[in-house]
Amino acid sequence: MPRISRRAGIGTLAGLLASVALVLTVKSVPAPLLVLLGAGIGAFLVIVSHRERMGYVDNLMASAAMGVPLWAVFSLVVFPFFSAWSMEWSADAVRGHFPELVGWVGFRAVLGLALQGLSALADRVLGPEPEAAEAAMPKKRRVVILGGGFAGMQTAASLEHELRGDPSVSITLVSETNALLFTPMLAEVAGSSLEPGHISTPLRTSVRSAAFVRGRVQSVVLEKRCVLLEPEAAPGQAPEAPRALEFDHLVLALGAVSNFHGMENIEKQSFNFKSLLDAIRIRNHVIEMFERADREKDRATRRGLLTFVVAGGGFAGVELAGALNDFSRGILADYPNLQSEDLNIVLVHSRDTILPELSASLGEYARRSMEARGVTFKLNTRLLDARPGTVVLSDGELPAATLVWTAGVAPNPLLATLPYPRDKRGAVIVETTMAVPGAPGIWAVGDCAALNDGKTGKPCPPTAQFALREANTLARNIKASLAGKPLKPFHFDSLGALCVVGHQTACAELTVPFARQKSMRFSGLLAWLMWRGIYLGKLPGIERKVRVLLDWTIELFFPKDVVQTIDLA
Amino acid sequence: MTSVPPNQPATAASGEIKSARNHFRLAVGVCLGAAGGTLCAMALGSSAAHGAVAGAFYGLVFVLLFAERCSSPGAGLMWGLAYALLLWMIFPAGIFPWVAGVRRGMPMLEEVRLSFPALAGYLMTFGLPLGVVLGLMGILRPQPGRKEFHPWRAISGGGLGGVIAAWIFEAWMSQGGFYPLLGGLVENQAGARGVGLHFLVAVAIGASFGLLFQRDIFGYGSSLGWGMAYGILWWFLGPMTLIPLAFGLPLDWSSDHASDLFGSLVGYILYGVIVGIAYAMADRLWVRLFVESDPINREPEGPGLRTLRSLGWGAVAGLAGGAVSAPILIASGVVSKIAGLQGGFSVASGLVLYLVGSAAIGMSYGLLFRNEGLLLGRGISWGWLYGLLWWYAGPLTLLPILRTGEADWRPEAASALLPSLVGHLVYGAVTAFIFVLLERKYSRWLLLDPRNVARESRRTRPEGTSVPALWLFVLGLGVLLPILLG
Repeated sequence: MPRISRRAGIGTLAGLLASVALVLTVKSVPAPLLVLLGAGIGAFLVIVSHRERMGYVDNLMASAAMGVPLWAVFSLVVFPFFSAWSMEWSADAVRGHFPELVGWVGFRAVLGLALQGLSALADRVLGPEPEAAEAAMPKKRRVVILGGGFAGMQTAASLEHELRGDPSVSITLVSETNALLFTPMLAEVAGSSLEPGHISTPLRTSVRSAAFVRGRVQSVVLEKRCVLLEPEAAPGQAPEAPRALEFDHLVLALGAVSNFHGMENIEKQSFNFKSLLDAIRIRNHVIEMFERADREKDRATRRGLLTFVVAGGGFAGVELAGALNDFSRGILADYPNLQSEDLNIVLVHSRDTILPELSASLGEYARRSMEARGVTFKLNTRLLDARPGTVVLSDGELPAATLVWTAGVAPNPLLATLPYPRDKRGAVIVETTMAVPGAPGIWAVGDCAALNDGKTGKPCPPTAQFALREANTLARNIKASLAGKPLKPFHFDSLGALCVVGHQTACAELTVPFARQKSMRFSGLLAWLMWRGIYLGKLPGIERKVRVLLDWTIELFFPKDVVQTIDLA
Repeated sequence: MTSVPPNQPATAASGEIKSARNHFRLAVGVCLGAAGGTLCAMALGSSAAHGAVAGAFYGLVFVLLFAERCSSPGAGLMWGLAYALLLWMIFPAGIFPWVAGVRRGMPMLEEVRLSFPALAGYLMTFGLPLGVVLGLMGILRPQPGRKEFHPWRAISGGGLGGVIAAWIFEAWMSQGGFYPLLGGLVENQAGARGVGLHFLVAVAIGASFGLLFQRDIFGYGSSLGWGMAYGILWWFLGPMTLIPLAFGLPLDWSSDHASDLFGSLVGYILYGVIVGIAYAMADRLWVRLFVESDPINREPEGPGLRTLRSLGWGAVAGLAGGAVSAPILIASGVVSKIAGLQGGFSVASGLVLYLVGSAAIGMSYGLLFRNEGLLLGRGISWGWLYGLLWWYAGPLTLLPILRTGEADWRPEAASALLPSLVGHLVYGAVTAFIFVLLERKYSRWLLLDPRNVARESRRTRPEGTSVPALWLFVLGLGVLLPILLG
């Protein structure tokens, strides 16, 4: 007998038994209706309620208690309303229904006992209640997401929500690091405004049903539809065989790496600015240079030590230059032997305006603001080479002990090992649905995808803003693909861009809602407040938000410290 | 040759111990029941012999049905009180008038009012002693999986809760002239003595609350429920029983006398609620600072996040509860009273205020009951109880205070507000229903993580706790008393 019929039968029978209490006490409703009502309540309760493990006495008390509100609802509201199309709203009317209160308590007490007794009897006579018929479990489909950046993490989270615990699909997220780095705030870590851990969210606590694997991808074996992870060996032990992760759907969300355009010296001599460790290294290196300069007698050498060159005038380069300028000039107070004239923050950019993603006027504003705060700009200048202590520019050599590279990025080099067409950047060319053409079950997203907007046909920029939206669409498309449904093209209108250029100063260009072709420009303190508000809102996790907010508050009242946290020797 | 299982002698010995314990329990139940029946009969002026026999029978039935449930004095007390109430509803309020042929509305109510002393007698002479004594015996019984008991935490948390509640009620005590009355208990009617005694009694009530119910309380919501029950119990125990005895006055458990004390019933219920919430706050603070802060005890999801989510779900649920109950509260005149707060008489403005208040109360429901599990039936039961509390706290207390500066706890006021009780119950049930649905919807995703499944199973009350008894006692008396005494 199906479970629902069995339950309905038990509930109806128990309700019929218990309705005697109603028939004896409720006089305003015909007895047959009360019997029907009792049976209906019994059937309803037993069908909708979870079958709890309770003793008879527990059931007796709990059920009797529920008789009181049932009296209030039925005897005081429902019965008067249906018998006279009005309700009795006086204390005397309520008191007049007192006998029914006893009846309802009795009804529910008997119903509770009868339901449990009859259920136990049915278990004994008919056997245990049959479980809901489970659909034959189809072969488990495996979705493997490579990369734990914005695109990969959001794809995993969005897919979890879309699939809602579908046991026929497994999701595995693979990442080289075990945390999602909130890159918009990375410059503040290098500038000592934020603690490093406060802008990283653990991937393990961000996913629920998805499995998380920390590892570096060695290769993708398309013929076997599996991903090989680089073996990890404990010190002194031979490395194990590469771990294989089989997939039915593979998401390429590996992000981007710095692109030095083949300039090996620069790659050797410069700092990267992509990861949390990069930011920590830069901060510690700056302090190290101050310590060395403090005991250096030769002025030229001292100036070289305190010259920090940032290559690249995009968002990352400008924000880093601004943060380093504020940090360096702030800690000068701790080094009485050093003068501000010794300090030189240089931003090298190959074009005539910085921040090409923003309007020219905002780029110009950013340059002027930063110059006013002490940053030197070398525009229309190329970085040609680097030697220890010297940076070679297209307009001459510059003594500098520090070079940070932000002038070029490229998609993860693993993409080059795959047989898929790629664009100039090196990203895999995908359809507007993010599916790789001619490769069923292979998807690319974020920095790894050369994607055109499904509505406008314009290329989508490799930014976090787009990556997050692409990931949501991709999750829906993977779900649709699993269900054999049509896929949807990606479309998103940029919301705008914001960039901090120095202490409480920023530029912002935001798209006007419902007029996507128009934008509004902000600069100065207001733009800076917008930057902080918007990015604090975007930072994943309430706990992280609170920590960052505390860091910002502390920064208002206390100076940045000069404690070195890692040994750079 | 058959081998003897090594544990056979131990099993036989434990069986014997169990059997002896059961017999002893039966003897205690029968004796206590007989003593209680005699006392009750004497207090009601009926035959002591009949009382003793009936009491012995009631005691026997209680032991047979509920002894296993009496795992602690607090649990035993709650089962005993609910049992006494059920007995009273079955016999003096149900079968006796029926047999006497009094079966219609008001006449039956009058008949039941005459039986009100029996209700007080049943609670004080059967339910209370039977439950507490069997609960004390239950402590000695081995109970695998029993929650750890921390007496000092119970005493300090409960004592603090009692002091906070006493401080909140100080103004009311002072206005009602209760301090000289309390001072009279130590034969000194000075106000200062009364104040001192008031706080001393409050600490005792709070500490005993913690000692009795620590194991049963899972969070603020359940603590509030136990507080309501404890408040009702202390109304029967204090002004109805102990205070007259302390002054050498005869016991008067009549409905007329109880009706005179109706205002203090509301006070005791709200006092109990404040003790419950204050105790839970102190206890939760202790747990947060000294237990949950230990990394070993870390939960996968931080408490702050859950609190924020519960507030959001509670607001939505409260709004839904407000929308469903609004027609009843408009018809019963509560919404127009709320409109009067604004100085206008527009029902529309009252309705808006009512819905805003509903959302706010829903948020408080979310905050208080977020630790009570995901079962729909249990959630709705707590919702009925919360709705009932807001009938006492809302139109009887806060609304008059906002309008006139004083609470209106007169029986006539409660009587006039009886119809709105339905609306409050419906509000609580709908709010709880929607809240549990929203919480379950979220948890379906959260429970994909096995760590959260373990946490959820810890939140679910095991079989055999005294929650069903609590629901019957609070919902039953919370609704019955205004009907009988108003």
